[in-house]
Amino acid sequence: MIPAGPGVSGFQAGDLRLVTVNLLGAVEHPALDGSPYRIDRDGRPYVPAGDGGIVLGLELGDSVFALDADHAAPGACLVHADPAARHALAAYACVGNEVRVRTGAAAGARGVVLGKRGEEGRVIAGFAAADLARIRPGDEVSVRARGQGWRPPGLPPEVAVMNLDPGLLPVLPIHLPSTGTGAGTGAGAVAVSVRVTVQSRLAGNGIGRPAAAWDLDLQLPPPGPDGAGDVFLGDLVAVSDLDVRHNMGYRRGWVTVGIAVHGASPLPGHGPGITPLLTGPATALRANADAAGHVGLTVAALRLQ
Amino acid sequence: MKVTTNADRLVRQVLAGEVWPPLADRHAYRVGPDGQPFLLPGMGGVTLDVHCGDPATGYASDHLEPGASIRHRDPGANMALQFLTCVGNEVRVVSGPAAGAVGHVIGQHAYVLADFPDQPAAELTTGDAVTVLAIGQGLALPDHPQVVVKNCAPDLLAAMPGGTRPDGRLEVHVAARVPAEAIGAGAGMASEYANTDLMGAYAGLGPDLSLGLEGLRIGDLVALADADHRYGRGYRPDYLTIGVISTGQCMMFGHGPGPSTLLSGPASAFCLVDDVDANLAAWLHPQSPHAEPAPAGPDPAAVP
Repeated sequence: MIPAGPGVSGFQAGDLRLVTVNLLGAVEHPALDGSPYRIDRDGRPYVPAGDGGIVLGLELGDSVFALDADHAAPGACLVHADPAARHALAAYACVGNEVRVRTGAAAGARGVVLGKRGEEGRVIAGFAAADLARIRPGDEVSVRARGQGWRPPGLPPEVAVMNLDPGLLPVLPIHLPSTGTGAGTGAGAVAVSVRVTVQSRLAGNGIGRPAAAWDLDLQLPPPGPDGAGDVFLGDLVAVSDLDVRHNMGYRRGWVTVGIAVHGASPLPGHGPGITPLLTGPATALRANADAAGHVGLTVAALRLQ
Repeated sequence: MKVTTNADRLVRQVLAGEVWPPLADRHAYRVGPDGQPFLLPGMGGVTLDVHCGDPATGYASDHLEPGASIRHRDPGANMALQFLTCVGNEVRVVSGPAAGAVGHVIGQHAYVLADFPDQPAAELTTGDAVTVLAIGQGLALPDHPQVVVKNCAPDLLAAMPGGTRPDGRLEVHVAARVPAEAIGAGAGMASEYANTDLMGAYAGLGPDLSLGLEGLRIGDLVALADADHRYGRGYRPDYLTIGVISTGQCMMFGHGPGPSTLLSGPASAFCLVDDVDANLAAWLHPQSPHAEPAPAGPDPAAVP
């Protein structure tokens, strides 16, 4: 809380009441340039399947390396025909926001925002499999956007939260301190269970971009004897030495926690992506890696079946 | 650089562009690392006073682009201009009061960036037409098949020190070595477009932000650790990328002075020599106060 006084506006996000905004998205159709090929990190051409639009057969809990695809996301990507409206859709939508199909064969179906992707802006919406199968590119989907500007009570002042629907906090393994004081002693820190903590040098596309509207690709090796462990869609993942409050960038001693929202990519500098949720000094934001036991966002918690 | 190339098999293409204006929106401000708003020039137009050999940072500027920033109006033609233009290519002004002035490409940054001496640059402005003599894409080193060359004019490569060593490695002189943690915006993009911003490069940064790159200069050759830029820009342990610092000061977080890619391959294919003089100023701009004494005879770049 900024103390009131001369020269101070008194405005402080988190002390103000949230508003909810209904946004309109359209289900994306994948788009390619004149050539069907992209070039992978070893110089081989490939045809990018799964990069945007509707991807069937992939859901929360699946490995980010499960499919031979490019940035495949578990559900339908939402966009808007107007570029500025599309940026707003991506910037205001938060993980956990409710979405509802308004037109087409799946009209009335309920879904949930699972994440976002950057550059032009995409919202990733998850649906029950039977509903997703009836959705078609171009269908209109409303997004009940709520969460930007929110600060849960008890969050240490050094920690920023973003891209998170307040209603989703109870189902994520994020534990706020019982008191708002004492950060640095451990007792006053936010404790978060994550699948893995990744070094910032693995940050790819998304570095230097705004975390409210752009995901961060992680250049993770596939799991295996020489690689790290696996990561699953919906997992919380931490990145060390990364501050994403005002664009994503290197800051020693900080940590950022995001949710895995799309799968791997053959492109150099790309990989499984996270939508950032929390960022702060590691003394106030403690990411506890649990490769075997971590439970992130699940289909069951979202009641999507 | 004493190295065998296929330079005699490359084509030279005449490309057209124009000096492109700085772009802003009605909200004016952007946000800095600590949340501070700022409004600073740097991208687009013609930026005076900063040339190869000058410090890259320390200016009240964001995304500082030394010299003229150049695009083509047609989107497809613009991508050809951005992709085909190489560092070291000659740029000639063909309209306006600076017509006839000759500069050189120092890099790409979603604009082609051309450094000119201050006097013609002072007469150059938005809309002035330029001609780029593009040559360099496709340049290859037959004795170094693992090393990929990007965005590098054959004349520039020839002027650089180093070359093929008796042990078969390629000797490259660099002014700075960059750790993988410094790679900022630009990761994941094509190696022939824009550049790779480097973080941690400002004097006075605290220990949480400094990555030891405070001394970078415009035009410096730098070595990026664990960076594979052969087919795009990505992290790969034990690979190495050589770039040239083509942009300077940034205020946006996650951004910073940026190298345009020149060479990339396994680290084992290179032999790096630390050399504070490894800067374009020594090879491209004999008229620069930062350069070594000009060779006798006319500047070949001034001959039509």
